Amino acid sequence: MPFSEARIDLTFRLAGDAVVAVRVDSSRQTQAARSLAGRRPDQVVAMLPTVFPLCGTAQALAGMAAIERASGIVVDPAHVLARRMLLLGETLCEHGMGLARDWPALLGEGPDLGSARNLRAAAARLKLLLYPSAYWNRPGGGALEPDRAGLGSAVAAIGGEIAHLLAADPEEPAASPAALSDWAQGGASAAARLFARIFDDGLADFGATDFLPMPSNGPPDLAERLESDADGGYVARPACRGRVFETGALARHAGHPLVAPLLAAHGNGLAARLAARLAEVTESLRDLSALMQNLSDAPSAPTPGVARGCGLGLVEAARGTLVHRVELEDGVVAKYQILAPTEWNFHPAGAMARGMIGVPAGPKLLDRAWMLVNALDPCVVCTLMAE
Amino acid sequence: MAVPSRVIAIEGGFATVEAFGVTRTCNLMLLSDPVGIGDYLILGAGGGFAAAKVAAADALVALEYLEEVLADGRA
Repeated sequence: MPFSEARIDLTFRLAGDAVVAVRVDSSRQTQAARSLAGRRPDQVVAMLPTVFPLCGTAQALAGMAAIERASGIVVDPAHVLARRMLLLGETLCEHGMGLARDWPALLGEGPDLGSARNLRAAAARLKLLLYPSAYWNRPGGGALEPDRAGLGSAVAAIGGEIAHLLAADPEEPAASPAALSDWAQGGASAAARLFARIFDDGLADFGATDFLPMPSNGPPDLAERLESDADGGYVARPACRGRVFETGALARHAGHPLVAPLLAAHGNGLAARLAARLAEVTESLRDLSALMQNLSDAPSAPTPGVARGCGLGLVEAARGTLVHRVELEDGVVAKYQILAPTEWNFHPAGAMARGMIGVPAGPKLLDRAWMLVNALDPCVVCTLMAE
Repeated sequence: MAVPSRVIAIEGGFATVEAFGVTRTCNLMLLSDPVGIGDYLILGAGGGFAAAKVAAADALVALEYLEEVLADGRA
């Protein structure tokens, strides 16, 4: 039997001159993680980046956090720092793929595949530069032996590719809305031209809706909702007391000096959401450089784990809050659940669907909806249709 | 989720890959590592580009799990 690729189909129902309803049909395999049951925790963590490769590092980190909590393993702070570097590297890579491939496509321009390849290669190098024996994804922590010179080169290469894709020092457009506007009007990169298009065509508020940012520690009822989610309904269509949060860069950087004024002026539309991704790029580059200065290469051995327990692992991946939950019995996984950010943002009552309600119909409807899809960046293929 | 796909042919920067009896063609431009017949690739969303090369041992473990997902009716 063939293995179908998951996708999300969005159908915009038109009445009069506007979108009045949005139907979301998702074929995402939200229950697949349950089939991880019966395996040892280390086997599960080793599999996660291969089976869930989009944000595969974040997937493994969330899995390790859940397993370590379930087992009562206390991880050395040196591993916490190294793992944070890996997560930042992946976040930069994912946003960089948007800059190199997805944003040019919104303008009808070709991708910068060379830059995308260089960026992915530099981000991938971080793992072996921190954990040369390749066991970066071992519960409790593997052999951390950072190659500081190599890490410095890799981080510089990531920053260099981002600067190339923006045709600017990333700090410049991210300084303020005025700086963003100046950079956009210069039009020296596809990203700049996309912002110019958004401002020139009056699309800064396109997709704006009530802003319900994901709380920094996840939904307050997360643990109990996952624990009681017998039929998988919660991980397929999550909500918190009737609210469907928006997760991702905007939720994390709503107070950033570039993002906050755009949010106040235009709501959580295209300008604020795309600017939040730029803000996250600059913050991530800065954090990555700072963390590198504090690396330690002599972590203590992890505390021994227990064979039975329950744990939750929450990671802020590029696309938003990613949650893994595990129940261990007799040293093996008895139950495994994954709640991905796309289930919030592309929920039938989520930010994407709510943002399209009331949008004017017209020949540019689907092109503009594509921009909103890219701003929210689902982790699967999306199709759009109007009826 | 992604399915590790085995390379069965390569021509001009593109690879033909197979998984679960389905063949597809993908662009190799995003990969830094050399790719040969028999290697396993992970395709990006939409399947147009190879996103990563994975070790055969990892790919086979993942494929075994994905067969279970199919058998469990969770795909």
